[in-house]
Amino acid sequence: MVSGHSFSVTVDELVIARAKRGDGEALEALYRTFETPVYTLARRLTRTRHDAEDVVQDTFLELVRSIGSFRGDGSLAGWVRKVAASKALQRLRKQGARFAEEPLPDEFADGSVDGRTATAPLATAAERVDLRTAVEDLSETARAVLWLHDVEGYSHEEIAAMVGKTASFSKSQLARAHARLRNVLAPAVREEPCT
Amino acid sequence: MHLSQEQLLAVRDGDAAAADLAHVAACSACAAEVARLEAVRGALAALPMERPTHDLWPAIRARIVAESSRRHLARAGWIAAAAAAVVTVVVGVRGGLEAWHEARTAHEMKALIGQSQRLERALRSLDPSGHVVSGRTAGTIVELQDHIASIDAELANKGGQGAASPELVNLWQERVRLLDALINVEATRVAYVGL
Repeated sequence: MVSGHSFSVTVDELVIARAKRGDGEALEALYRTFETPVYTLARRLTRTRHDAEDVVQDTFLELVRSIGSFRGDGSLAGWVRKVAASKALQRLRKQGARFAEEPLPDEFADGSVDGRTATAPLATAAERVDLRTAVEDLSETARAVLWLHDVEGYSHEEIAAMVGKTASFSKSQLARAHARLRNVLAPAVREEPCT
Repeated sequence: MHLSQEQLLAVRDGDAAAADLAHVAACSACAAEVARLEAVRGALAALPMERPTHDLWPAIRARIVAESSRRHLARAGWIAAAAAAVVTVVVGVRGGLEAWHEARTAHEMKALIGQSQRLERALRSLDPSGHVVSGRTAGTIVELQDHIASIDAELANKGGQGAASPELVNLWQERVRLLDALINVEATRVAYVGL
C-alpha cells in the first residue's frame, strides 16, 4: 500500500511546541513544510487552482486554531493531511458535489470483462501526463476516492466516514475510477478470455 | 469469467477472498490486470507534486492576525466595560473638592473609553479578513496590535486598583491613538482590495 508519500515528513517537536505557543516563525515553518503536499492533495481533489489555494488557507487556519489540542499520539503530518482532505471535500460539497454513484463504463457494466486487454505499466513522461489528464477528467467522486485510497493510503472505511457514505460505495467508486482510467490509458494487447 | 474490477482491486490491496486469489493464480489475464492496477497506483503516487503559483503565507498570516485581533478586541471590550463601571461608581459615591478633581479625571477617562469603544466598533466593521495583505502591512498591523495588547495588560493591571488617575488617562489616550492608527492601516487595506 502506498501511504501518502507526499506527507512523509517528520516535524521537529520543538517547532510544534513553539507553534502551540503561537510563535509566528514556527507557524511559518509548519506552513513551509506542508505547503506543497497540502496544495497537491487539494489540487487533485478540487476543481481549480483557486479552490486549491483556498483549501490551503483553510487548512492552515485550522491548524493554527487547533494545534493546541494536538497531543502527538499520531503524526502531525497525518493530522494535517486529514484536515486538508476534509477541507477539500467540504469545498466540493459547497460547490454542489453530491458524491453520487457514477455508472461504470459500458463494457464494465456487468462487473467483469471478457477478452481482457492488458496494458504495460506506465513508464514514460508522456504516459504520466496522460494519467494526470485522465485523473482530472474523472468525476469529482471517483477522483476523490481514487486519490484518497491509492495515493494517500486511506482505507475504504475512512473514506466512507469522510464523504458520509458506506465502505461499499468507496469500493465501487474506486473500481469505477480504475475502469475509466483503463479505458483512457489502455494501449491494449488483447488476451484470451479465462476458461 | 474474469474477476470484476472491484475483486481485482481487493486482490491488489490484500483484501481478497480466497477464491479470488486462487483465480488470479490460475488466470494470466487477471494476474496481468492486478499488476496493471498496481502500476497505475505507483504512477499516481509518482505524479509530480504541485505548488501554488504564488506565496500564500502572507495572506494566511493576515487571516491569523485578523482572527487573533477579533479575539483580542472582544477581551478588550470587557476591560473597557469594567473600567467604565468603576469610573461611574467612583464619581457617584465621593464628594467635595477632591472628588471634583477626580471627577474631571474620571470624566476625561470615560470620554476616552467611549472613544476607544467607538474605534473598536469601526475596526470590526471593516472586517478585512480573508483579503491578501503585503508582508509589510501585516507587520505594521501586528506591531500595532501587540502594542495595544501591552496597553490592555497595563490597564487590566492598574484598572483593578480602583479610581481614575492621570496615569490611566494617559494609557487610554495611547490606546485611542493606536486604535486610530490601526484603523487607518486596515481602512487602506480594505480600500485597496476593493479596487
